[in-house]
Amino acid sequence: MPSGFLEVALLTDVGNVRQYNEDSIAVDLTRGILALADGMGGHRAGEVASRMATEMLLTRLTAAADTFRANKRQHGPLLALTQSINQANKSIYEAGRVDPRYRGMGTTMAAAMFHDNRVVLGHVGDSRIYRMRNGRLELLTRDDSLLRDQVELGVIAAAEARQSHNRSLVTRALGIEERVSAHLADESAVTGDIYLLCSDGLNDCVEDADIELIVSALAANLPLAATHLVQAAKDNGGYDNVSVILAKVKEPFPARASTWWWRFLDWLKHLFAGK
Amino acid sequence: MAKLILSNGETIVDQCWLDDARVTIGRAKGNRIAVDDPSVAEAHASISHVGRDYILEDLRGMALSVNGSPMRRRILQHNDVIELGTFHLRFVDSKSSSDIDLERTMLIPGLKFNPDRRPQDLEVTQDLHVPSTRGANAHFPSGSVRMVNGGHTHALDRVVATFGEPGRGVVVFTRRPKGYYATYVEGESYPRVNGESIGKEPRHLHNGDRVEIAGLELEFLMDGP
Repeated sequence: MPSGFLEVALLTDVGNVRQYNEDSIAVDLTRGILALADGMGGHRAGEVASRMATEMLLTRLTAAADTFRANKRQHGPLLALTQSINQANKSIYEAGRVDPRYRGMGTTMAAAMFHDNRVVLGHVGDSRIYRMRNGRLELLTRDDSLLRDQVELGVIAAAEARQSHNRSLVTRALGIEERVSAHLADESAVTGDIYLLCSDGLNDCVEDADIELIVSALAANLPLAATHLVQAAKDNGGYDNVSVILAKVKEPFPARASTWWWRFLDWLKHLFAGK
Repeated sequence: MAKLILSNGETIVDQCWLDDARVTIGRAKGNRIAVDDPSVAEAHASISHVGRDYILEDLRGMALSVNGSPMRRRILQHNDVIELGTFHLRFVDSKSSSDIDLERTMLIPGLKFNPDRRPQDLEVTQDLHVPSTRGANAHFPSGSVRMVNGGHTHALDRVVATFGEPGRGVVVFTRRPKGYYATYVEGESYPRVNGESIGKEPRHLHNGDRVEIAGLELEFLMDGP
């Protein structure tokens, strides 16, 4: 993959109300790996959980990426992501079991890994992944939250969600049980796409329409877009920690260079496929 | 914890902590909140507890009166008053009213589908847009931009608005609670405010400021005082 195929801007902020920042963000620009987590738990254990999640995801995913990119093994990005999330879950769960200070700690997470003109996405809890394509913002994840359950099951109407007090109640998190089932997706990634990973501190305070406007208007200056998103969340209240990772695809990133030899092989494959 | 206080005139008739998953309100004696008023139905309304929400629902097929407005269902808010004939039922939830910092992220079991609980007037759709955003707790100013050469005016009624030409120069006007700011976005040249280049730093704008970008001249106008 070409180095520099991805442009990334990231920012995390404690917000206006909270004393500590329990969000964590981490990226590996050259390998195209993004991770964000929003921790929970008393006595600052939330900070520990979210940091463990992002660090472990990044370490595991970079190692996996180097392996499958060197073509030593067949296991691809989706499997690597699944395994990394499971391992992060297990480590946080074990830490919470062993150390009484960390009992019950957990964290949401959202991660993206770019490979071979595709991006694999994973999330647990209410951290979100959006994609801006052709000027339209699309939410690619589905919150594990009580609020969403309430609306989906018709306990309240979508329009009533604003009055709900269940905003920050998540129904799934890393580190709570021995196993976790993450939501996974494998999407095509094309030049010009902008991916946004965020903690709920952003979308709780900024409407999707305003997120869309900021990202599309400032797409040419990603760091400025990131500061504008965080600033908008704080200007609207900033009740929670707020974190954003923006990643723009600048050019195609095929797994291998497009030499005449590979094109010939592809042509052969194409010729014999399905016959 | 949340609490209901039933009063008639100046007299408090009954009080109840909302610790059950669901309480009912009506004229019949079996209701947790029994209201002795002829205009109240035997089974009048219910309050269900979901997470941190207490959801009031009518049981008669007609509107309830909450804070003087008719509604079939409401997520109760601190100090809501439900009118029941001559009686008033006040909802008090000190937790949701006091400190926003208490509203920390917590884990809770998800809801199981229960067809009996689903009100008939709601459609369950696959692709729901859940507006989780809370209302902005801020007042924003109102301003506009006038094209000095083109004549027309552009209202600055969103969080950002960009002007200029990609490659040559683009400026963003940002609406914030304390006013508007102009910031360089991209291009060969920085924006100029009143003839002076602003570089990459945001510049707080004042009524009548002239902003130049990529050959455009814009006049910033602030509405009202």
